[in-house]
Amino acid sequence: MSSKFGNKVMTANEAVKQFVAKDSVVGIGGQTTGRSSMVLAHEIVRQGISNLTLVGCSMSVSMDLIVGAGLANKTECGTGNVEMFGTTFAWRRAIEQGKLVSKDYSHLSMGLRFLAGSLGIPFIPIKSMLGTDLLEQRSEKESKDIVISEDPWNPNTPVVLLKALSPDVSIIHAQLSDETGNVVIEGFTTHDVEMAKASKRVIISCEKIIASDEIRRRSDRTTIPYLYVDAVIEQPWGAYPTSCYRYYEHDSAHFRHYQSCAKDGGNKYEEYLNLYIRGTRDFNEFLSKASNAKDLINLQKSMQELV
Amino acid sequence: MNLFTLDELMVIEASRYITNGDVVMVGTGLPMVASLLALKSHAPDMCYVVETGPVAPDVIPTPTSVADARVMHRSVTNGSLIGALGGILHRGLADVGFIGGAQIDQFANVNSTVIGNYSNPKVRLPGSGGANDIASHAKKILIITRHELRRFPLYCDYITSPGYIDGPEGRKNAGIPVPYPDIHVVTNLSVMSINKTSGKLTLSKLMPGISKETVLSNTSFNPDSGIPLQEVAPASEQELKTLRDEVDPKGIYIKRV
Repeated sequence: MSSKFGNKVMTANEAVKQFVAKDSVVGIGGQTTGRSSMVLAHEIVRQGISNLTLVGCSMSVSMDLIVGAGLANKTECGTGNVEMFGTTFAWRRAIEQGKLVSKDYSHLSMGLRFLAGSLGIPFIPIKSMLGTDLLEQRSEKESKDIVISEDPWNPNTPVVLLKALSPDVSIIHAQLSDETGNVVIEGFTTHDVEMAKASKRVIISCEKIIASDEIRRRSDRTTIPYLYVDAVIEQPWGAYPTSCYRYYEHDSAHFRHYQSCAKDGGNKYEEYLNLYIRGTRDFNEFLSKASNAKDLINLQKSMQELV
Repeated sequence: MNLFTLDELMVIEASRYITNGDVVMVGTGLPMVASLLALKSHAPDMCYVVETGPVAPDVIPTPTSVADARVMHRSVTNGSLIGALGGILHRGLADVGFIGGAQIDQFANVNSTVIGNYSNPKVRLPGSGGANDIASHAKKILIITRHELRRFPLYCDYITSPGYIDGPEGRKNAGIPVPYPDIHVVTNLSVMSINKTSGKLTLSKLMPGISKETVLSNTSFNPDSGIPLQEVAPASEQELKTLRDEVDPKGIYIKRV
């Protein structure tokens, strides 16, 4: 049954083709080992959309893949990090080799830049980063996005002004959505809600599409209302190998495999991209190559024990 | 006496700086292990806050990251990054902030961004994450790291998170909301704490069996102020049992004897 708000359901291929253009600023949802839209990151790599600027808070393997495929030339974030599995190695190498410009912020600074974007205000004050190189060591080109000013109500008290950030398009994975884009995120939301509301376009991948009636009967669960959403992709396991709260645990084995390829770089990394992404039609084919039914069931069971 | 490693005692000693009832903003890695130990032992009513959003979870050992379902277990809310780092930390409600870092200098400034030059890095590190926010706004800052010469330079290559910047008034002059916090750096060799008169780290405790000379030869600045040094209290049976059986049962973060 279609809704009066319009059915936005499409494939990842169609959504990325339609909404992610070359030179875009792309908002990356999720954090480290949790709830990253791997299905949409894969599709960006598969379609080879280049010259991207990737923005987020703690950016994980979804960012690392796009950087490693040579499709991004700038990131703005708090960190590139997979915590216990190490750093984001393709990102790190690209910065060290001068192929990628990293604009560093604190996490709250990034969150507030999205919040400002979501409210339609041009900038927002913060009292983080004062006295540190996050303010001092910025090139002329990038310094314009941060200004040290004075609190108008407390003379001689410095305050940092952050420019609002509105990505051209954001890619976010959620547990549930209806076909019009009323989205339910379960567990931590990190910066995803503010980023979605700040973005000009939003693509949601989700574990399951539910009826709009189900949204309306329990609307207190709606995390992002349909107004902000342009495309909805139903992709079970769409965050794999990162976790999806209440659905499945992260897959440590695949994380370690990816990290070893990313750390080595060169041919080994190209082989990963070719085997799992460029050489697959879609995310389901990736899943069948990267894992097996038994292991996936174990990741589901493992999550059930934690919630 | 109980048999324990200095890595274990480092985590145990760090956990002792958390008081029951404290609101604690926790990163990952060793800060997480030490905070979890406090939660499971002497500080059951501490409010464990995770930057991804979760507040007061009953953490299941042993989380791999701040996005792990283990840090959301039975939380009072799973919240958002702005709710945690903004509504709790920036708002001034965090009693303790707990971070790690690749370099810690004489003023307790922390570098987690880059070794070498920022625009031409030798090694690019993960970056601030929530660490800058935590070090700017928590009332007490705990730093935990293994004690190696390269980790304790005179000056950081890059200041990611503020200690006392360049002296006793450094934070105040920069306009940081908490101008004079307590800062403790707990390592596998010693504990160094901020002297608020000099704004510098001062050696206050030695780990059992570690000489002052060992600490000094592994530190590029001189943290010795001549004050009498205490020895870190050994690990109690209960502390060890909780750490080994409940906090890190698989030895993921802390290797066993």
